[in-house]
Amino acid sequence: MLTSKFKWMRLGLVALFVLLAIGPFAKNTQSVSALSNPSVGIVCTNGPTFNLTAGSGYIVLSDANTMFMWSYSATGGAFQYPGPVLCVNQGDTVTVILQNNLPEATSIMFPGQENVLANGVPAQPEFSGGGDLISLTKTAAAGGSVTYSFVANKPGTFIYESGTDTKKQIAMGLASVLVVRPSAGANFANNRPDSRFTPEEEFLALLSDIDPYLHQAVEDGAPFNMNNYHPRYWLLNGRGFPDTIADNFAPWLPNQPFGALARIHPYDATLHPYPGIERFVNIGTEDYPFHPHGQNGLVIGRDGNAVEGPGGEDLSFEKFAINIGPGQTWDVLFKWYDAENYSEANPIPVIIPDIANQAMGMFYSGSPYLGVMGPMPPGVSTLNQCGEYYIISHNHALFQLDAWGQVMAGPITYVRIDPPLPNNCP
Amino acid sequence: MKKMISRRDFLKLAGAGALTVAGVIALPQFLRKTLMAEQVVMADPIPPNLYLAGTDGWMHLPESPDIPPYFPDNLAPGLADGYPDGLNSYIFGFRNITGLTDAQKANQKQRAQHNAPLFWVDQFNGSNEFRLQLTNLGLAMRPDLTDAHTLHWHGFRNVIPFFDGEPTGSVSVPVGRDFTYIFRPRDPGTYMYHCHVEDVEHVHMGMTGLVFVRPLLGPKFAYNDPATEFDREFAMFLSEFWAEAHWADSHIQLPDWTDYRPDFSMLNGRVYPDTLAPNGSVDPFNPVRDGNGDLIAPAGRPELQYQPLSALVTCNAGERVLLRFANLGFREASMTLAGINMHLVGRDATPMKGRDGTDTSYDTDTILIGAGESFDVIFTAPTHSGGVGPDTYVLYNRAYNRTNNLSVDSGGQRTEIRVYPSGVAAQQFPNDWGI
Repeated sequence: MLTSKFKWMRLGLVALFVLLAIGPFAKNTQSVSALSNPSVGIVCTNGPTFNLTAGSGYIVLSDANTMFMWSYSATGGAFQYPGPVLCVNQGDTVTVILQNNLPEATSIMFPGQENVLANGVPAQPEFSGGGDLISLTKTAAAGGSVTYSFVANKPGTFIYESGTDTKKQIAMGLASVLVVRPSAGANFANNRPDSRFTPEEEFLALLSDIDPYLHQAVEDGAPFNMNNYHPRYWLLNGRGFPDTIADNFAPWLPNQPFGALARIHPYDATLHPYPGIERFVNIGTEDYPFHPHGQNGLVIGRDGNAVEGPGGEDLSFEKFAINIGPGQTWDVLFKWYDAENYSEANPIPVIIPDIANQAMGMFYSGSPYLGVMGPMPPGVSTLNQCGEYYIISHNHALFQLDAWGQVMAGPITYVRIDPPLPNNCP
Repeated sequence: MKKMISRRDFLKLAGAGALTVAGVIALPQFLRKTLMAEQVVMADPIPPNLYLAGTDGWMHLPESPDIPPYFPDNLAPGLADGYPDGLNSYIFGFRNITGLTDAQKANQKQRAQHNAPLFWVDQFNGSNEFRLQLTNLGLAMRPDLTDAHTLHWHGFRNVIPFFDGEPTGSVSVPVGRDFTYIFRPRDPGTYMYHCHVEDVEHVHMGMTGLVFVRPLLGPKFAYNDPATEFDREFAMFLSEFWAEAHWADSHIQLPDWTDYRPDFSMLNGRVYPDTLAPNGSVDPFNPVRDGNGDLIAPAGRPELQYQPLSALVTCNAGERVLLRFANLGFREASMTLAGINMHLVGRDATPMKGRDGTDTSYDTDTILIGAGESFDVIFTAPTHSGGVGPDTYVLYNRAYNRTNNLSVDSGGQRTEIRVYPSGVAAQQFPNDWGI
């Protein structure tokens, strides 16, 4: 007769062998498709022609509240927030056809791009009959459309966002990201050789905030005094923790396709020599000081420009708090390695307290060593899969790690460091 | 406001934990080794370089005008309870308990200091690792809170989660337990440290302080660069105080953190003009305490017993002075030194140089410090005016509408630089006055 202990053992063995069987294949599939439909990492919509619709929909927040949003979505596709990440190559002629399904006029600005055309002629601000500015660029009327085009001459990370009633429309969610890949190649941030990164380790960190009373007013067609703007939610890639570390296209977040988990392998001079890249973009209303644990970010690009001097001098700088301002983009290289090479063969030189004398976290493997799992205290489960490390990365204006009173929410993500290959990771 | 799920609950979630352990016992040896850690135990424990305790406590802020019902806190202890008069704000914090007896150590419960003890570590040279032991004395005012504590060294590169102090990805220290962190810092510069359990609450309540790493080049250099030599150094630690949140913790309430507003902004745990008051015990490796293990108040200021770090800068004309700024408030500060040029030599514990060695250091009057950033500036004390006594320059946060401590105009994060013609003695420790 099978005792329950034997039943658990059998299930454990089955689960283990399933994981081992799919492990290597999953890894190969992931790296091949990493740039097109990855479960982790930046999700690119490739151009150079894009059909976008400005429309409305709902998202889910960390406290299970829902929020009415305006955003750009692929025309004919589901509503999404944030809008698609548009990826083009340096030198492409980019065409963006905007269909406006909002109840008012809207437009798209392309900060950092030059000679933007709207319907074939240079895009110009619009003024009322009395001379008041009503849009920073050419609008599409409610129900109408406009076609923008420009040549993406500069590599880097850029924003595309509404140019009409901007304080309201951008706050409602009409802003997202444009990535221009340099001529040097898709695994470079710009045309400097020292901007090279690991292609499977390209991540987006899009930062924004929400005042729920503004969104309620827009949904109701009521006025809202922007002087009273007071955010209650802060988001990372359109989600709040713990949704930020769920996969891209998580099925329970149908309108929020982008996760923010950064999954990397440790740096090694021969086996894994290039860093990962995090593209920080701030479409919110104030500076956000984003703090990675365990590794500094090397800032190599700002607002679509390489951080270099007139003679090509390297002016890049390392930060452990990346204090990004509204409307800015910062390209940041990062890597991690175990500087001490701790392992069971090279143990940490300290007494590890007994399990009863530690409080263990839900991502902890039970062991200090990379690739090793250890026992958890009775009644405590772990989500750790194969001894990987989870190192947090979060906004350091700590009161913003909050969803209208619920703590441990908002702009928090993790860097997941898998043990060096070969490993047992799914 | 209903709180949905806190990190405390997050950490306590039950589950089928036995699966992995039970399953591995039947596995072949080579698979067992990757799934069952072997406990590695040292034969003899090596004493720590620093032993810190996390607990709660009280501190002093200027009381006029008050912020009813939150400030001053009506539960604050006084002389009758074995505390100095003048304490009015509830805090969490760390205390340096290195070398105390068990009885003295237990006495430090509800005697945290604000901010956490300043300490420093020499750059790792292959054999001088730093051991920091942390214990958790519990919260005397809140026996309902069984919060663990950790020590997160903010900015430490290439750390493993076990020593990073982030509770969800690793381990934290329950009440009454101990844990030893091993640090082998390879990057000189100015950092911060703080508890990371329930971080918005614990950091804001005061479990945070400044730590820096001395370069191999020597104790009078900021980085391994002769151009960063200095004569004196001063820690300038920025933090904030929201009266409702501190009151809520002593009165078993929960604030809505999205209502956050700093009522007071502090430099080294004090508001101006207390920033000019003398140091208490600041050198963590030669701590001064009374017979009970408690802190001794700075001369003439009994209400500052738990705020030992002065922010007054004293120097001789012509000397190079290093200011180590770190911001663990939640808002940006715009620290301005009127009348003396500051030279920025390091930021976020990184020297101001590109990867190809390009010098990116620069001069400025004002540094903009966001939450979680650190800045190292060196200024040269100007020639003395020839008048009587020191020349005084003001160092202050120019973000005026956020730093008024409600009782003194343009107060809060403000201090003075006093330049003497000569006679200021060499420092025994950072922030030492020498006069």
